[in-house]
Amino acid sequence: MTLTFPDLVLIAVMALFGIGLYALLTIRNLIRIIVALQVLVKGVILLIILAGYLTNQIGMAQSMALTVIVADTIVAVLGMALAVQIMRKKKSLDTSDIAELKR
Amino acid sequence: MDAIFSYLVSSTIGLPWLGSLVLVILARANEKTQHWIAFLFSLLSTICAISLISFNGPAAVIFPGGGVFGDISLMADGLGIMLSVIATGIGCISILFSTAYMKGEKQLSRYYSLMLFFIGAMVGLVLSSNLFYTFVFWEITAVCSYALISFYNDDPKAVRGGMKAFIITQLGGVGLLVGSLILYGTLHTLHIPTIMLKLTNIPPGVLSLAGFGFLIAAVAKSAQVPLHTWLPDAMEAPTPISALIHAATMVNAGVYLLARFYPAFYTVPGWKDAIIMIGAITAILSAIMAATAYDLKRVLAYSTISQLAYMVYAVGVGDIFASQFHLLSHALFKALLFLAAGAVIHSIGTRDMRLMGGLGRKMPFVRSMFIIGALGLAGIPFFNGFWSKDAILAAGFSHGPMWAYLIMLITTGITAYYTTRCVWMVFLGEPRTEIHPHPVSPVMKASLFILSIGTLTSWGMGGRLAEFFEHSLPFHHFHPLSIAERFAEVFTFPMTYGTLLVIATGMVVYLYIKRVRGVVHDFRGIIQFAENGLGFDALNAVVSQVTIYTAEALRYTQTGVLNWNIFGMLLGMIAMLGLIEMGGL
Repeated sequence: MTLTFPDLVLIAVMALFGIGLYALLTIRNLIRIIVALQVLVKGVILLIILAGYLTNQIGMAQSMALTVIVADTIVAVLGMALAVQIMRKKKSLDTSDIAELKR
Repeated sequence: MDAIFSYLVSSTIGLPWLGSLVLVILARANEKTQHWIAFLFSLLSTICAISLISFNGPAAVIFPGGGVFGDISLMADGLGIMLSVIATGIGCISILFSTAYMKGEKQLSRYYSLMLFFIGAMVGLVLSSNLFYTFVFWEITAVCSYALISFYNDDPKAVRGGMKAFIITQLGGVGLLVGSLILYGTLHTLHIPTIMLKLTNIPPGVLSLAGFGFLIAAVAKSAQVPLHTWLPDAMEAPTPISALIHAATMVNAGVYLLARFYPAFYTVPGWKDAIIMIGAITAILSAIMAATAYDLKRVLAYSTISQLAYMVYAVGVGDIFASQFHLLSHALFKALLFLAAGAVIHSIGTRDMRLMGGLGRKMPFVRSMFIIGALGLAGIPFFNGFWSKDAILAAGFSHGPMWAYLIMLITTGITAYYTTRCVWMVFLGEPRTEIHPHPVSPVMKASLFILSIGTLTSWGMGGRLAEFFEHSLPFHHFHPLSIAERFAEVFTFPMTYGTLLVIATGMVVYLYIKRVRGVVHDFRGIIQFAENGLGFDALNAVVSQVTIYTAEALRYTQTGVLNWNIFGMLLGMIAMLGLIEMGGL
């Protein structure tokens, strides 16, 4: 069995997505969660590009990927800013310590 | 011309919303700035709303919203413009009043920004010609009403009142949504004029489902029996809010909806009869409750329910103009009564009428204003309430069933009775307790004065209003009458004198036949029994309690732990994948 190029990319997508999802499910540190989100979204971007490549709409896929990258950067920046504020205010980055809805 | 028009329409909604944003940003600015910025924005939007009148006719502005629900389209016709002038105008006066009433309160920016947000949403609700956006604005008004009832959020009564109002009016929201979706399902459009044109394409059964959905919406929003109990509990709100939202504008949304869709549903069997029945029962029950309540604001709330029932009844007997005319009169005199009551409450610090009495000597200006409002409410000739109530009764006499007409006629007598009682207990007679009122500020007096002028003169606009309606509402039918013609019609119609006799009887009975007061007092027990026995309060309490308990139970799913939330999202994704795999989507 030989792996074609799309197969290889798909494996990479699954790996990135899986790592990100696993991390989001298990990790409690806010900074790490933001990093995990980045990893997960990178997998998604790769998937978009792959979909464009397979359907011969690479231009469309590129523009969508760029949009996602911009949105993702904003999410990361805002997330980091919030994390800094939370650290200053609550002296902790553990999500179970800073959750306020919990009772 | 068109460009100016669309700017005006959008700024009538946009300016209050902009003001609301500005006030959120200025939350820490000094108090005076906040008062006057709120007033400025409401004044500007009032000017925009009033200048819409000059465009005189059905005109539409469309913002391409796209999507399933169609464009955001705003339609400025008679109904919409009249109600937006009321919403912005009374809103402006209430905010002017608030600048004195709310002096020194904390969190003014929350108060004013919610109030302005409400005004914008109310204008949107009446101008929107797309049912979906009507629904959206409808819900925004409900949210603002909830948040403002519970404005004093450290008072558990206010919080409970707000919750109750929100949940009960949600029932109405569901009715509106279901009705709209039924119409959308058959006609594939939510644009109101298109729906009106294509009515013949709807099967009768489906049409009646939609009609009764809208009726439930109107009953809940306009506080009619059996969903009326939220309005008296909503009186925990600051008084300018009661004047604006719970007397002059939001509660009229239900009547507006019925009036707007009357041409669509009047052929539905039983629809008009149901409306007449609801109107008649609500009018008399709430009038009796008003005659026995001791809380000044609750008396006014019950009388609001009763007057709304008159408007609902007028729609039922097919006279849309009379209903809207009474809506205008009621908005003016009831806002005047509420604000005057607010001035009283503000200066003596209690709402219990048993502790008042003889206040007229200490605050003569407020007394005269309150009496003008009360005469309008009672329907004494040449105050605006007389003309509109008489138009409703005349329509009921000639087009409605006799039993309903008699109930409405008796209700005018009870209205006169409780109005006299209210004036007497608060302003006249001997002081019952030692009260030292604070002086009423000039700003309060000014806003009362503007409303009293409205109460004295608004009936003169009747003829113009009817012409405007006839000109701009192609699906309704009106018979515009000039002032002279109306004079002639009213005073040659024999039942007018009958009505006046009933009103006079109501007043005389309170003033001279003291025994009746005792009888009414005995009645109180029966009424409370009836109220509980008929299950209205219990029904409404059950609805709101069940909702609150369900929410509390579901709260356990909201752990606030991020990992659990991600897990939930993962489960959701798997479920979606499964559905797609099975061909469900």
